[in-house]
Amino acid sequence: MSTAGAGTGPNASGTPRNGLGGPGRAPAGRPAKPKSAGAIAVVVLILLAITLWAGLGIRVDLAAIARNWSNAVANIIQLTQPDYGFIPKTFPALLETLQMAVIATAIGAAVSLPLAFLASRATNPHTPLLRVVRFVMNLVRSVPDILYAAILVAVVGVGALSGIMALVMFNIGIIVKLVSEALDGEDAGAQEAALAAGASWFKADRAAMLPQILPTFASQTLYTFEINIRASTVIGLVGAGGLGVLIDNVRNFFRYHELSMIIFEILIMVVVLEMFSAWLRKRLV
Amino acid sequence: MAATRGPGAESPSAADIRFNNVSVRYPNGFTGLTDVTLSIPAGQMVGIIGLSGAGKSTLVRTINGLVPISSGDITVGDYTLAPGRRQLRGRALRDLRSDVGMVFQSFNLAKRTTVINNVLMGRLHHTPAWRSLLAAWEKDDVELAMQALERVEIVSKAYEKASSLSGGQQQRVAIARTLAQQPKVILADEPVASLDPPTSHVVMRDLQRINAELGITVVVNLHFLDLARRYCDRLIGLRSGTVVFDGPGAEADEKVFENIYGRSLTAEDVLEAKAEL
Ligand SMILES: Nc1ncnc2c1ncn2[C@@H]1O[C@H](COP(=O)(O)OP(=O)(O)OP(=O)(O)O)[C@@H](O)[C@H]1O
Ligand SMILES: [Mg+2]
Repeated sequence: MSTAGAGTGPNASGTPRNGLGGPGRAPAGRPAKPKSAGAIAVVVLILLAITLWAGLGIRVDLAAIARNWSNAVANIIQLTQPDYGFIPKTFPALLETLQMAVIATAIGAAVSLPLAFLASRATNPHTPLLRVVRFVMNLVRSVPDILYAAILVAVVGVGALSGIMALVMFNIGIIVKLVSEALDGEDAGAQEAALAAGASWFKADRAAMLPQILPTFASQTLYTFEINIRASTVIGLVGAGGLGVLIDNVRNFFRYHELSMIIFEILIMVVVLEMFSAWLRKRLV
Repeated sequence: MAATRGPGAESPSAADIRFNNVSVRYPNGFTGLTDVTLSIPAGQMVGIIGLSGAGKSTLVRTINGLVPISSGDITVGDYTLAPGRRQLRGRALRDLRSDVGMVFQSFNLAKRTTVINNVLMGRLHHTPAWRSLLAAWEKDDVELAMQALERVEIVSKAYEKASSLSGGQQQRVAIARTLAQQPKVILADEPVASLDPPTSHVVMRDLQRINAELGITVVVNLHFLDLARRYCDRLIGLRSGTVVFDGPGAEADEKVFENIYGRSLTAEDVLEAKAEL
């Protein structure tokens, strides 16, 4: 930092040079720099306070880790020795997880595309309808996937169907949000031209906005597919089908060799599918 | 050439445009046009000139209802654009707009789709919603779009992505899109402002040819005076939202320009001077 005198500090004589002025006073004709330092400090303080409150409130019991240590070591050792003989028995559940993810992604994407157009100001000029759609979508998104699964298991019953329905809700929340935001940021020039040529909003959106947004839509759909693979194992824990059900079973009987086999399989499946999806996305965009 | 049937050739009755004491007040209170009274007979090629902010875009955008007017009225053929509650809307507004094509400074193409798909947007008004949804275009409409591309000599690019075209080519696709509408009027808002000088002349000649051969009225905002004088039958000078000149290009001498621009001409105001730089 040897740029002394370049306007970064007071110069030797102490008199501000012409045009540079004192701090906070802008030369004639130029706007004053907006003051934001104070606001930032307040935000940082609030965030600090919230973090402290959260930490104190939850009363982390570090001692418990030490107390359970011997037990934990035994379990961890079991987990490092997956039971390969268990593999064939996992196949039906593995397949079900995959099928759930594929079906849920397809249905979720199909429902999301028209909803995304209704949820973007750029493509929906009807303000009351826009507000309603956005409000409902916020509700849909605020419910966690595992909660959807728990509710649907109670309503529809144990099995893959409730799992698929839970994932569909979860997917709609994500895809509509991401695609409608992409629509908001999309260049509306061609849509304006279509409207100026006498097209209705529906036709203008279809002809001018849809082709622009398709790569984003495809890429977000693949992204939710990746999430679905992971999510479908978790929602199984509450009985909504797939590998999660199996995990719940072996865990309840402390069969850690088998549990570790399932975890290992999930790991491989997720990595392979994410690689495939990333490869596909690169080709789409 | 004039005898060949093509898009626009069978446009039934040509449309005169009349402004009667038209004012435009933007929602923020700014007055874009003040008491404009004009008559543009069908088939004329009119250039609108004026400084940046004079109201050129506002004027052409009132003709297809993209900018609503606040007083007076505008008639375009059988349609009347009025302020407030009597505003043209819905079906009637879309009917009017299908008779009026628009060319934009930044081309306004859907860049990720093909040239022909962009031109077909000019047929959307006549296409049922289910056909637009499925992109199941009628054969006649595709034929019309192809003819429009032929007229601007760019039909070889029909199945290429719009983004792969040069600026001048994109603007000709945009002109083809308006031709596919078979319009009575074409509005062009600074159609050559994003193009280099030789390409500007190509695009202006296209507009002039369309005007002469198809009898379509052309209203074009231009930044460069030499272009306006060379290609237009008539010039309208705007200054702060009011008409300060209206007459043939030959009458628009230095003095008139000084009145329109509020200053003497500079090299910035003519295309050829810019080209020589
Ligand atoms: N939507 C709007 N809201 C408020 N004021 C506007 C709006 N659109 C344009 N104006 C103002 O109206 C005036 C005329 O604008 P207009 O775009 O018609 O000018 P122009 O002659 O086309 O200028 P340019 O050569 O820069 O395109 C300008 O002062 C502009 O700031
Ligand atoms: Mg303008």
